[in-house]
Amino acid sequence: MSKVLEIINLSKIYGTGENKVNALDNVSLSIEKGEFVLIVGSSGSGKSTLLNMIGLLDRPTNGKVFIDETDTTNLSDNKISSFRNKKLGFIFQFSNLLTDLTVLENVLLPREIAGTTDSAEKNARELLKAVGLDDQIDKRANKISGGQAQRAAIARGLINNPSIVLADEPTGNLDSVTSEKIIQLMKSMAKKLNQTFIVVTHDRQHFGDVDRVITIKDGKAFEGNLPSEMGVLA
Amino acid sequence: MEYRFRLAKRMLFNKKGSLIGAVLAVTIGILVIHVNFVIFQGLFDAIVRDISNYRNGDVLVTDEENYIDKSDQALVNWFERIPYVEAATPRLSSTASINMTKFGTLHEKTRIPIVGVNPLRDIRASTVHETVSDGQYVFSRNSIVLGSNVARDLGGAQVGDSIKLKIVDRYGQDQIKRFVVTGIAKSPGGQGFDYSVVVHIDTLRDLMNRPGDTGSIMVKLKDPSKASDVKNFFLASFPNDGFVAETIEESAEQQLAGFRSGIAMINMIGYFGMMSSAFAIVTIQMMLVNGKTREIGVMRSIGATRKDILLIFIFQGMIIGAIGAGVGTAAGLGYTFYAKETKMSFNNSLPLEVSYNWEKIIQTAVLSFILAIIASLYPSYRATKLLPVEAMRNV
Repeated sequence: MSKVLEIINLSKIYGTGENKVNALDNVSLSIEKGEFVLIVGSSGSGKSTLLNMIGLLDRPTNGKVFIDETDTTNLSDNKISSFRNKKLGFIFQFSNLLTDLTVLENVLLPREIAGTTDSAEKNARELLKAVGLDDQIDKRANKISGGQAQRAAIARGLINNPSIVLADEPTGNLDSVTSEKIIQLMKSMAKKLNQTFIVVTHDRQHFGDVDRVITIKDGKAFEGNLPSEMGVLA
Repeated sequence: MEYRFRLAKRMLFNKKGSLIGAVLAVTIGILVIHVNFVIFQGLFDAIVRDISNYRNGDVLVTDEENYIDKSDQALVNWFERIPYVEAATPRLSSTASINMTKFGTLHEKTRIPIVGVNPLRDIRASTVHETVSDGQYVFSRNSIVLGSNVARDLGGAQVGDSIKLKIVDRYGQDQIKRFVVTGIAKSPGGQGFDYSVVVHIDTLRDLMNRPGDTGSIMVKLKDPSKASDVKNFFLASFPNDGFVAETIEESAEQQLAGFRSGIAMINMIGYFGMMSSAFAIVTIQMMLVNGKTREIGVMRSIGATRKDILLIFIFQGMIIGAIGAGVGTAAGLGYTFYAKETKMSFNNSLPLEVSYNWEKIIQTAVLSFILAIIASLYPSYRATKLLPVEAMRNV
């Protein structure tokens, strides 16, 4: 297995002086291709900050993030955009589809941004079929349910065959039945496509067996589920 | 279709209120320019038209010194051989005192402008005869047409009344002649001979003791745009006769100069109106950008660059500009058409001379389109400044 993500001594500090907050404190970890990884932790622990750093949505104060062995720390804004487009897929908590577009157009959007539209529509339709939305493709994104929107978001996250799919509380806004379905869908897609998923969640129990769990506490990352069993990640 | 354009269009069309507001802003900006143009340029052109039709023609020939002593017949014939020329006619002017006894009361007016015309030629080169609202135009040596204001000042002179006219001839002698009023002239806007009287040119020559002299030759063209050519041709043909030839723009310059600066000022106001529209677009587009923070965040997170975001909102500006320019131009043309067809006038004043100035129409549409794009630059720039992580907080 190859490393798709390596984080070295990552820190993020917000504010200065007395208001200084160490959102992430010297976090180092690595994730292999195909792993389904959960990042858990209490509110304010720094898990979303970590996800933002991995997703290149925010820049770290210190440390480095390698994705597919590329150091992303000093990339220009345009290169970061291109990197996000080609190497990362995003699934967010709330409806994150563009409501002005149809489901199909939403899924196609990352390919259109990449400018690689060859067979894009065919791939998008296949993905939408795989997530069970083949009968919803021409509906406006605001005309489908929350669960369907998350399915479409998963399809959109996968359309560019990214190295990592990042999901930030993907079930946080769904009822338990729908949450279960979304979790199973993500896990099955991860297995089927050998796709790396990094999922930030409060909802550890619903995810059942996963490859790894990383707990974030006070900006530090620990391997494992329970505080008593945590071992600090080297 | 290019995805950024499609997205820009969808975002805009799904916010119909904002779209209508922004389009209206552009439309109103253009409409103001068109209305200003129709009214003020129409008024200006109407004045030019009436001065041309009643007094100066398209080319006016006078003498450097005082009176043209060359045969008016010869000059008129010379002009009428030019294919561009519709007709030419001699005129002679002076001032006179007029009196009339009406119901036992003597009414007298002094310093009344008097114009001598050749009736047969004048009706071809001028439309002043059409302003005779009562009676008919000068047709004999002793007939006189009174301007409506002169008739009023003479106690309500009417067709058939007899008036006495006194004029001082070239030797300082009073010359008196009795005329029969054959017509009363009244022109809309008063650009005609409402304050003058019109007599036969030969009668006036006799009264002024200027046999064969002519004050001016009024030349009417089939195509007024050839005025300069005709003028230059005339001056080149008579280089040593002391003639002065002027186009209508030149001969009426004094009357029109003030109006011209007024129009320039009104146009400025119109363009300021357009600028206000641009500010309205900035405001509306800022609202659109603020309302699309989440979408911008999502797009940035899935790989859209700042340039992509910039283009989406500039495309919106282009769409607003294009629709606004189209609707505004259509509305402006509609108003122009209405004004032209109804011969629009205000308070029974002179009817506006409405024309379709396609150069200005296209210029206004293009300018408003460009302004809409310029107005969208700042909101678009602001959209690019949204950090994905900040935008995503709204997700």
